[in-house]
Amino acid sequence: MKKPITLLATGLLLMLSNGYSQGTASPDEKETAPKAISDAPGNTKFLLTGAAWADFYYDKDQEVKYNFNSYGFAPVFLWKLSDKLFFEGEMEISDGNFELEFAKLSYSLNKYMTFGVGRMLTPFGAFGERWEPAFVQRFPNSHLKGDDQYIPGENHLDWGAILGIDLRGGIPLGSSKMNYALYVSNGPSLDNTTGMIDYENLNDNNSNKGVGGRIGFLPLSNSSLEIGFSGETGIAGNQEDSVYVMNGEYRDYSKVKATAIAVDLNYAKAIPSIKSIIGIRGQFNSLSVDKADYAMDDSTFYPAFDNTFKNYFVQFSFRPGMSDNAFLKNVELLFRYNSLEAPADAPWGPKDKNGKGGAVTRTDIGLSYWLSWRTGIRLAYESTTLPDDEKSNQLLVRFVMGF
Amino acid sequence: MKKIKIIFLSLVIGTGAIMLIEGCAATQAIADKSGAALWGENCIRCHNTPSPADFSDAQWETIGMHMRLRASLTKDETSKIVAFLQTGN
Repeated sequence: MKKPITLLATGLLLMLSNGYSQGTASPDEKETAPKAISDAPGNTKFLLTGAAWADFYYDKDQEVKYNFNSYGFAPVFLWKLSDKLFFEGEMEISDGNFELEFAKLSYSLNKYMTFGVGRMLTPFGAFGERWEPAFVQRFPNSHLKGDDQYIPGENHLDWGAILGIDLRGGIPLGSSKMNYALYVSNGPSLDNTTGMIDYENLNDNNSNKGVGGRIGFLPLSNSSLEIGFSGETGIAGNQEDSVYVMNGEYRDYSKVKATAIAVDLNYAKAIPSIKSIIGIRGQFNSLSVDKADYAMDDSTFYPAFDNTFKNYFVQFSFRPGMSDNAFLKNVELLFRYNSLEAPADAPWGPKDKNGKGGAVTRTDIGLSYWLSWRTGIRLAYESTTLPDDEKSNQLLVRFVMGF
Repeated sequence: MKKIKIIFLSLVIGTGAIMLIEGCAATQAIADKSGAALWGENCIRCHNTPSPADFSDAQWETIGMHMRLRASLTKDETSKIVAFLQTGN
């Protein structure tokens, strides 16, 4: 508990040292400050933004081959209460489900640091915070993730939201730049019957807190490349949790820890000589849980296994956005390779012909046609291979509108 | 897994060391970047660059703060980008 308290104390100290001053720009700040607002009375500035989408697929192996299978609407509410205070929240209504995605209150401590509290998109990797919105994603769907049909539950940290506090900001480094987001959250929660982890831990299962964050480094002076390193660790087991089975054996889960790391890369560059914009992005995630025997039922423990779950994707995009041709400039060609690997001996996850866990891989070839900077039609042909060599192919279509 | 952790930790420490060596200050050329340049360089990494006309001046202020958090921009970078977008309106 020392780390969370230290982080919190540092944040409060910085807040105090900043004197809670609002709107006191230095002369330097005034030179670059946004101009006075004349079209909106009052200090509070509100904006409703977000995205809506509708999906369709064709799969010759499914019983229903053609299907309008998904839809969604995700309004984002932004309130700028002052130069320092800010609220952002998102609701998502999709496929008949309703969920509050995030609701975060932020206070700007100084030029390089903001303190945040609430339910927030997890600052772990780049996908969850930056690439997940439907209008930002180029493909009709996401990469293979921890909650896909292949992995039950919420066994992921690379996307979703946590409940806690964070400190974040950007720092110039000579001709480079770095940014950071450090957080303390309720942390992981362990299912002691399967060894799966749930990071959507809204009502904490123990007093230990998850501590983590992401550090991003932009080594090039034009900021075209960003490499991020993320990590989180925390006790996942329930507090004072011991499970007994019929023969009197018991296991203590209160010390079982979950540790996750991620590396993300993002490169985007407009190249005038070929009148195009190229993009490369990808992320690798690894989640490891301490070895433990899991209580499968009232009489037996499932033997301990190497409980490490991994997934990654890499995506390439090419758009002749500076072309003189009105049609071509709105076309974006896409390629993505995805992999997801459950622990070999886990009682869950995709299995090979010998019953061992293995990797699901998927190759996606896509095309996006942009009707505006945030609205477009996406098409993708996706080919999936399961660990038992079973293959499936799907054609996906999405119409997405950012607003 | 232990090897991955060591590599990961080394990269984080390496980044921290570079930060200390560089003295946490932007070179003059970087500090003098215009709002237009920052807009072109930063927005495009994740999404298409919007036109100044897409939002009103007041809305750009709100979006600026949202993106400052989402992309972990500095206050100076955010102010320059917002000022540029408002000027274009």
